[in-house]
Amino acid sequence: MFSGFWMTIKHAFMDRPTISYPEERRPVHERFKGRHALKRYDNGLEKCIGCSLCAAACPADAIWVEAAENTDDERYSPGERYAKTYEINMLRCIFCGYCEDACPTEAIVLEHEYQLSFTNRRDAIYTKDMLIDNPPEGREGTPQTVEPGAFDRSIPDMENPK
Amino acid sequence: MSELVTIYIDGQPYEVPKGANLVDVAKFYADNGIPVFCYHPKMEPVGMCRMCLVELGTIMRDRDSGEVITGENGEPQVRWFPKLQTACTTTVTDGMVVRTNTDAVIEARDDMIEFLLTSHPLDCPICDKGGECPLQNLTMAHGPGRSVFYWEDKVRLAKHVPLGELIYLDRERCIQCARCTRFQDEIVGDDVLAFHERGRELQIITVSDPPFDTYFSGNTTDICPVGALTTADFRFEARPWELKDIASLDVYGPEGANISLSTRLDRDAGGIVIIKRVMPRQNEAVNEIWISDKTRFGHHHTRAAERLTKPKVRVGDRLVEAEWDHALEVIRKHIKPNVSVGAIAGPTLSNEDLWELRKLAQAVNAGAKLSIYPATMTGGDIIAQVGVGVGTNFKDMGSGTTIVVVASDIEEEAPIWYLRTKVAGDRGAKILVLNARETRLDHYAADSIRYDYGAAVSAVNDLAKHEAVTNAENLVLICGAEGMTLEQHGELMNACANLLVSTGHVGRPNNGLLAVWEGANVQGAFDVGFSTEATAEMMAKVPDLLFIAGCDPIGESAEAAGLSKAKFIVVNSLFDTPTTAVADVVLPSQSFAERDGTFTSGERRVQRFYPAQGVIGQSQTDWRIFASIRNGLNGSAVQRLTAGVFKELAGEIAAYEGLTYPALAVVERQFPDVGGDDLYYGGTAYQNNGGLGVQYPATSEAEGAKPSKFATKGKKTSYKGLTAIPVNRLYDRGYLFKYSDELMQQRIGEPFVVINPADAANIAGGSRVGVTIDGVQYEALAVVSEDAPKGFVLMPKRLTSQPGPFAPAAIETIEVIAEPVGA
Repeated sequence: MFSGFWMTIKHAFMDRPTISYPEERRPVHERFKGRHALKRYDNGLEKCIGCSLCAAACPADAIWVEAAENTDDERYSPGERYAKTYEINMLRCIFCGYCEDACPTEAIVLEHEYQLSFTNRRDAIYTKDMLIDNPPEGREGTPQTVEPGAFDRSIPDMENPK
Repeated sequence: MSELVTIYIDGQPYEVPKGANLVDVAKFYADNGIPVFCYHPKMEPVGMCRMCLVELGTIMRDRDSGEVITGENGEPQVRWFPKLQTACTTTVTDGMVVRTNTDAVIEARDDMIEFLLTSHPLDCPICDKGGECPLQNLTMAHGPGRSVFYWEDKVRLAKHVPLGELIYLDRERCIQCARCTRFQDEIVGDDVLAFHERGRELQIITVSDPPFDTYFSGNTTDICPVGALTTADFRFEARPWELKDIASLDVYGPEGANISLSTRLDRDAGGIVIIKRVMPRQNEAVNEIWISDKTRFGHHHTRAAERLTKPKVRVGDRLVEAEWDHALEVIRKHIKPNVSVGAIAGPTLSNEDLWELRKLAQAVNAGAKLSIYPATMTGGDIIAQVGVGVGTNFKDMGSGTTIVVVASDIEEEAPIWYLRTKVAGDRGAKILVLNARETRLDHYAADSIRYDYGAAVSAVNDLAKHEAVTNAENLVLICGAEGMTLEQHGELMNACANLLVSTGHVGRPNNGLLAVWEGANVQGAFDVGFSTEATAEMMAKVPDLLFIAGCDPIGESAEAAGLSKAKFIVVNSLFDTPTTAVADVVLPSQSFAERDGTFTSGERRVQRFYPAQGVIGQSQTDWRIFASIRNGLNGSAVQRLTAGVFKELAGEIAAYEGLTYPALAVVERQFPDVGGDDLYYGGTAYQNNGGLGVQYPATSEAEGAKPSKFATKGKKTSYKGLTAIPVNRLYDRGYLFKYSDELMQQRIGEPFVVINPADAANIAGGSRVGVTIDGVQYEALAVVSEDAPKGFVLMPKRLTSQPGPFAPAAIETIEVIAEPVGA
């Protein structure tokens, strides 16, 4: 009986495992896969080139991409092609990260945000505006007007293997 | 190619046709895809890419006895070529031995891929070809996986070069296979593309002005084995694996070209499935794997902003939108028993639509006039009698065949037939061109015969003595109606039929008559019982009740203006047109992309098309609309499916007897197998899964049939004074094509007339002129050229803003409105 009380007393003075979510949040692992973000280059251009490979890799068919053509007057991303529409249905997404693996420009990254709740199905569709990162400090967003011919490659240059 | 020889591929014997190409044979008979880039089965091999290297040998035979020399173990001995040979430049012979999987061959392929990739950019993610690219596929299958070359040595070239308005070139991606230049030279005969510079600097350039000026430019993007050539229309619209291909048919021409509609959901189109691109569908008997640019890029009308979405009913002098029930009720109320009825069917109505239209018109009045628009050609019954024999294929025509083209600028009117006639000519067929003016086909003609407008019949009658006709083993006549009235064309068709019957060229394959109908399903309309003579009668005496469907006669043809006098007009239309403006009820019908049905091509091939696009608004198929009206009138039953309507039709129309939807959907494997889903040759959606169609026999093909004689009066018409000759132009402002997107609008251009220098005394080329015919002034750009015969002015149909003449018409005056710019 005393050993039983002892156990209770011991636990009463131990650190509490429960936290008072949502005021407090548990840190996640570096490799945790939460909500996606579309990344930008340092110059503010979008990394996403609208190639749809993430949609092709997606096992849950959660991603919808429609592409369009860049011009130098209205440039969204380097190269000729950008994503006009980019949507992820978060109800379908299983957070497997295949899209991240498939992306040739490292544009889509599964970040640490995990608080996703919706009150109707339409809200579960995250559009490009909701997914894309803000432009870096002091840089304008997209579309940008750029020098002709300055950004003619979609995929960053490769190097010889070291 | 009937003689068979035995060849050995990787040790296995195969019986294959003698003289066939080794690459085709290995693919078709041995399912052994020897990798190729430059070789294409439709073109002469050049052996440029060196990708198809194989070990080649022949079985040794004793020179004296011809016996096979065997080795110690009893196996036949093989004399091998000392080095690897290109399979694409090899034709198969008896006893040929091929090895495609030895170390030497594998190493050669490895090296070739490595060389090709030294300067190929790695932008597959944004390339329109990515996913259906032979270079991608062959790299995965045969590539070395690593390169010994330095990345820094990669050549950087321009990535965005517009070759014309329709085609973009990415110089970096080009692997110099010369398929595009060879296609333009060998197949189309427009040598507008060429190689420039040599070695690492080798580039594709266009050498025409305007750039890449041809009606077949889109085909180069299909055969391009990489993404170097892409179309402006499909650019970045979707990735190939996201598209769903639906079998369909060309709606513009009489050739019945088989196409695939690549479809995908689209947000901007309101979340419906739309056509993203049009691709050719392999049908070796119809269009092989080629389609014209009009077919390829002219699909935007199916979802144009101008599409009607709701029925409209006339209230006073306005048309107001109404519900279907109300519109049908209005029609029902206005149909009195036994009023005079006319039905005008456009060339884009399917056989099922025509059948239901006929049933409706005859339900109102058994003597209803069933007519076809445009009423420029006649003789559907003649085609049914002496049309080309079953099994006719331009591909089989060569030496011994004579192809006569009469009164048609076939490049503008039936581009696929032009292309196939031209290629048959290259194979040795004799081409005779009879026309009052020079056309493009004259360049390839063995003989060009000029007649004066109005004298075509006697020119055809004189052909009987022509050496190319008397010596012909096979004879095909392709008959147009340029510079003719309907009556004159009837005479011409008789004369053509007469020539064929009297020389015995009917009732067998590769012999007979073809008419260059103005539209996709004119032959079907004739078969179902419609006629162009009825149109002419109707224009003379307008019936009280008029059903018009699938055309815009009042907007296109000056002769049709009187139709608006009918007391009650019901129009089925995709758009608001001048014809709907005079209608009492306008019903929104569906485009070919939204529904299924059958068309009958000029070669009498009945073919199916399938629903591809999401339905726009409340539009309905034409046949269902007619059936609903009929049902409202007399309560007779309405079929539930298009297949049911066709079954009913096939039961009543003798020529269609025995045809069913499943029979039309049968696909057989075709040689060469360009259409496989392994994307072997082309890397595009050639695969035919919608059916090859069925060609129904002409009556002259029946056993013991004696074709009747066709009498002609041979009367010549002579024209006095300046006469306007309406001519067909591929890119026009016709009922459907008018609603194309910006890309095609540029190609249509502004109205023009061609005037002979002798008639253009005070008119400078390039000036704007007003041509007055029958009190109407047509404004157009004047082109002064010998192309127009003296005394005649060529006036393309459906280009001018006002409806123009469809038959030769006397010109009252030509006045200059504005001098040429810069003069």
